[in-house]
Amino acid sequence: MIAAAAVVAVAAGAIGLGVWGVRLVRTTSDLYVASRAITPWWNAAAISGEYLSAASFLGIAGLGMKLGASVLWLPLGFAAGYLALLFFVAAPLRRFGAYTIPDFAEARLSSPHVRIVAAVVVLTIGGFYLVPQLKGAGLTIGIVAGTPYWVGVVAVAALVALTVALGGMRGVTYVQAYQYWVKTFGIALPACILLVYLGGLPERAALFGHELPHAPADGLVVKLDDPQRVEFPTDARFTLDGRQMRASAGEERVLKGRLVLPAGTAVPVAEGTDAERGEDWARPVERSGPSSPVFVYSLLLATFLGTMGLPHILVRFYTNPDGPAARRTTVRVLGLLGLFYLFPAVYAALGRALTPELYVKGQTDSVVLELPQAAWPGLGGELLAALTAAGAFAAFTSTSSGLLVSIAGTLSHDARRVRPRGPAAGDQPVERMRRFRWAAVAGMIGPALIALAARDLDISVLVGWAFALAASTFCPLFLLGIWWRGLTARGAIAGMAAGGLVASSGIAATLVADPSPTTLGALLAQPAVVSVPVAFLTMVGVSLRDRERPVGTDETMLALHGPEGLGLEALRARG
Amino acid sequence: MSDGPGPPRPRAPREELAEGTPHGDVYLARLIRAQLRLSLLALGAFGGLIGSLPLLFLLWPALQDLDLIGVPVPVLVLAAPLFPLIVVIGLLYQRRADALDETFRDVVTHE
Repeated sequence: MIAAAAVVAVAAGAIGLGVWGVRLVRTTSDLYVASRAITPWWNAAAISGEYLSAASFLGIAGLGMKLGASVLWLPLGFAAGYLALLFFVAAPLRRFGAYTIPDFAEARLSSPHVRIVAAVVVLTIGGFYLVPQLKGAGLTIGIVAGTPYWVGVVAVAALVALTVALGGMRGVTYVQAYQYWVKTFGIALPACILLVYLGGLPERAALFGHELPHAPADGLVVKLDDPQRVEFPTDARFTLDGRQMRASAGEERVLKGRLVLPAGTAVPVAEGTDAERGEDWARPVERSGPSSPVFVYSLLLATFLGTMGLPHILVRFYTNPDGPAARRTTVRVLGLLGLFYLFPAVYAALGRALTPELYVKGQTDSVVLELPQAAWPGLGGELLAALTAAGAFAAFTSTSSGLLVSIAGTLSHDARRVRPRGPAAGDQPVERMRRFRWAAVAGMIGPALIALAARDLDISVLVGWAFALAASTFCPLFLLGIWWRGLTARGAIAGMAAGGLVASSGIAATLVADPSPTTLGALLAQPAVVSVPVAFLTMVGVSLRDRERPVGTDETMLALHGPEGLGLEALRARG
Repeated sequence: MSDGPGPPRPRAPREELAEGTPHGDVYLARLIRAQLRLSLLALGAFGGLIGSLPLLFLLWPALQDLDLIGVPVPVLVLAAPLFPLIVVIGLLYQRRADALDETFRDVVTHE
């Protein structure tokens, strides 16, 4: 009840800020990029607020509880992605002054075709990143309010579409900054208070996987409403709906009803959960399996290089007034993200000790939501659970609205006939704003329908694919487009197609067939270490053989790299 | 490249840059190279730091089993201290990159 109230309060705050933002919206330029006059701290909080999605808020802790220390690479890569963005992209792209990735592609390579390819990639990445957010919404609202899955999906989809359509980005910038702090308090405060309340790590959590997760001193009761296939790691006696039963080590059973495990029994784990056993849980790298070096490096590469290619992140950089401001903003983002990412691991360690029933149910993803009340029964835990629920809500609404802004921007901008020149050409602001609003509504329908159908798809698989895809398409486009004069339109298209194809087929193979714990399986599940080099080599190779150079590369390079205050604006206006 | 034959007087780098003369392009190419070198250096620093960790843990398994204040060392290393380090690398890079821009602006405008 308290949790539901907290979620409503967060939503009301977001809507209030959005409405307040609307009154500040004057022109389309406001609507798109908030007039480029928001201070670095606001901007950094907004970027971080948009970036920290359900995968960060719920997924890292859940995966960490499930797989152990190997998951710690994930937040590291998520944060370090902004370092790559800072080194290679932030300042030049801000100076260049294009609104969206397709805008950049077309203006840099003077080709409408490359714009269309880029727009398709934006819609793909954005759509597939949106689906797991809505899925997280369905699950969280389900836990908090006890509603069916579809209610949460539909409610959040509608709320986000409304905020974006009415507020545009000016509203959203303040909303996103607010959401960052909701999320950070939502994850940090309960973690700290719980650690104090428990007097540090409880005994079993402090073992860090030296033991299997097991039932606490007064036994463990798990209600399984649906039949659940579980595997017993050791010999066990238990009761199911009052009947005495026993299982031997390694045995698989399908259980339904009220399961009671006596104290000290190692809990059975749900099929697919594969809770790592013993000391492996505390090891970030192993010779094989889901934390093999190939997988770890591929994951780091995908997150490190993929962040710059997420469409909803880059558009926010245009709200910086100039290149140096974009750099300053990015450094602040690194700090804000680092602060947030200190805390998910706490939930993973505590969850392994205090909420072992999530292993049985295969629902480790909800550990952030369920842990407070398990660790501190009573009002205290309930209040803390309200905080984490509010944070989770902020996580998927903020990322969804950021994604929707770029999807709607791309739809309203690129789905129309290709215009010969850049962003500001021609049409009436009122007409464009109207189109943007319709696109915001239309852009939400597809992902919402997929989310309704894709209840069983793994959040981390979809998010991982988005990162791998971004790293294999937009990352080479940016790095080569910004730093190498020789990139041509054909090269860019070929490279994005090759990288995107390799990355997608790897993920598709993983979705269809169960991943095997081999090196090949790891490569298929996390293909970046192959697909990124393929994309780069194709782009360079095709560009070198291509005689048709884009026009105006010298002016473009000056616009990208020329520092502010040279008094060359006359040139840029002419170009 | 330029629109027409320029006047014979010595020309400021700023004008050369604005008109896209071969001279101006050389100035710009030098800046781009300097910025790229800085970015790659920063990337190398970061990549060497983070990129060596998986190998380190793998090749030195004793480290994985070592506990410090009750927490395994690799967990301790990955969970907290790297985040401030990333910020420091970012901050150092930002200062140097802004300084390179500044130098370029001085060279081009005060001559």
